[in-house]
Amino acid sequence: MRESLPIAATNAVLTLVTLFVYRSWAKARSRRYLWSHTRFIDDQLHWSGSGLEMFIGFVIVALMLGIIALIFNFGLPALALRVGTFAAIAALIGLYLGGMFLYGLARFRGLRYRLSRTWWRGIRGGSDYGGWSYGVKAIGYYLATFFAAGLFYPWAQSKLWNERWNKMSFGPHEFEANMTSDDTRGAYFMLWAALVIGSVILGAVSVAVGGQPGGPNPLVLVVFYAAIGLAYLNFLTAYYQAAAEWTRIGDIEFRFTAGYGDWLKFYAATVGLAIVTLGLAMLVYDFRKWRFIAEHLEAYGSVDVDSLTQSRTSAPREAEGILEALDIGAF
Amino acid sequence: MSQPASLYDGVSARAHAVTVHAASGGLRLDGDGWGDDLPSSKLQTLSEESGRLRVGRTDIGGWSLVLNEPIDPAIIAILPKRQRYGGLIDRIGLVPAIIAGGLITAFVVAIGYVAPHWIAPHVPLSVERRMGSAVVGDFGPNRCRDANGQRALEALAERVSPGATRGPDGIKIAALDVGMFNAAALPGGYIVVFKPAITETNPEALAGILAHEIAHVRRRHVTEALIREMGIGALIRMFAGQTGANAEQLLDLSYTRADEAQADGDAIQMLRRANISPKPTAALFQGLDKEAPAYSAEFLQSHPLSARRAQRFAASYDPHSKYQPVLSREQADALFDICRRRQ
Repeated sequence: MRESLPIAATNAVLTLVTLFVYRSWAKARSRRYLWSHTRFIDDQLHWSGSGLEMFIGFVIVALMLGIIALIFNFGLPALALRVGTFAAIAALIGLYLGGMFLYGLARFRGLRYRLSRTWWRGIRGGSDYGGWSYGVKAIGYYLATFFAAGLFYPWAQSKLWNERWNKMSFGPHEFEANMTSDDTRGAYFMLWAALVIGSVILGAVSVAVGGQPGGPNPLVLVVFYAAIGLAYLNFLTAYYQAAAEWTRIGDIEFRFTAGYGDWLKFYAATVGLAIVTLGLAMLVYDFRKWRFIAEHLEAYGSVDVDSLTQSRTSAPREAEGILEALDIGAF
Repeated sequence: MSQPASLYDGVSARAHAVTVHAASGGLRLDGDGWGDDLPSSKLQTLSEESGRLRVGRTDIGGWSLVLNEPIDPAIIAILPKRQRYGGLIDRIGLVPAIIAGGLITAFVVAIGYVAPHWIAPHVPLSVERRMGSAVVGDFGPNRCRDANGQRALEALAERVSPGATRGPDGIKIAALDVGMFNAAALPGGYIVVFKPAITETNPEALAGILAHEIAHVRRRHVTEALIREMGIGALIRMFAGQTGANAEQLLDLSYTRADEAQADGDAIQMLRRANISPKPTAALFQGLDKEAPAYSAEFLQSHPLSARRAQRFAASYDPHSKYQPVLSREQADALFDICRRRQ
């Protein structure tokens, strides 16, 4: 925290005074710092992605999204007025499906890019795949989740996790992911039930008190949000553990050791710090989250350093433009 | 003085034990089968963390040399400085960069905010009209097409602002069968009035609304908004994501409020010149203020507070003036029925 705060603070200031252009460089700088402070077995990771390449990727995608926004703002109303409402709705559905495809593609390519810029002992990761089929499959999983009122989410999430990671590699070794929803389903259904049942109770309470303005008792709301937060942490715990357990590469297996209490402590500290520092601590939230994950991610097995040779995947040039432009690019 | 180091060659993950010492213009590597002279121009400092210095090569990805502290000052002197904030900022320094960036940003935002106001009057109306008709066309199936009603609507516009609908640059006005209380000026001198704004008011109040929209067209406010949206709006949304979009909306809102107030001022003058009482318009805004949630949120947000607008219109009422009705009985009936029959 003491070391990362100056980085986070100068990044924030530079980002503001450059009309957000510095964002890509800020991200590169944060990653260089985080990677070089993350030790795997006996050597630190190294991040080689540059701010410039991320910025170029971002500009290209932002222009693409700009065109889509133009279609959305002018094309759709024009279609509705000139051809009819039905054509506009069809076009809108098309745009949404396209959006889901882009989102899936972005997640795949973001991961591929990050692996290709991550070096350990002079070797990097990558992927031979472009993620196009991942994008198409993602549409299906998102739609299934949507039409099942969210109940398919753990299943879709684990399938997509496997779909992504099974196409990634580090050096000559391919990742193997065999996650199922078995380990996350229970926790997810609890979260889902908390949301649905909680909303029903909340609705009933506000009807009972006569629906007066101001809504239900604040205490009821606090209990509702607390229940959802706790259920969500429980799901996060199960998800991180399952993802680590069912993913491997070469002879290396992973364990994620953070239990429910660890997550609770982490988020309690996050909220506490944010309150005490009047929000300033949120600047270093990403750093703290990274450290939390790095501290709890353990790897088992052995690495044969002679057979861990350089990756033959082509390093992508477009960085993670879509992720950036959609504002979903975490570290 | 030579110093031990670990070398990763970027071919395999094996660490090679080498010794490094400063030579003229570069580093000399020896040991474990290596005997290399590396010019400093090919070297870059990758990181300096936890007592380790990592040096890379600009021409071979993955090649890295790890030195443990303490490091021979002669070696450090040869290595290029590590990139910190980014090339340009490292060169001019952090504080000057922040000051320069702040000034440029303030300038860009100011220009983006003000420039549309200067540019808008110089955009040829024909260009704007082409854009507008590309979007609007013939207003589609929702347009209310009763011929008598349309004539009455145009007569109302003419009554408010004589000559407004005539000539090549004349305003084109249409009623739409959409169940929302609203009216809008669109690019290219188009004005649309939604059905409830006709059937749930009276012709006098509608005259006030029309005067307001005609003022928007005359003052080129629509053009201005369009330019701002394409200029700084796009820029902010592109770089600043959602936070920026919210900030931009605020900026946009504060500016369109100035436009709205100006359009109200013009509308009051138009009503006065046309001898139309401003009271029904004032009453309409008074009603809007009370029933706010029943009407479109958008209409309320981008317009000045309804109560204040109502006051402004009410204040312009002159008890000594002999106000004339805006439409004849037949015209008012035809207007009321504009959406009833479709051709």
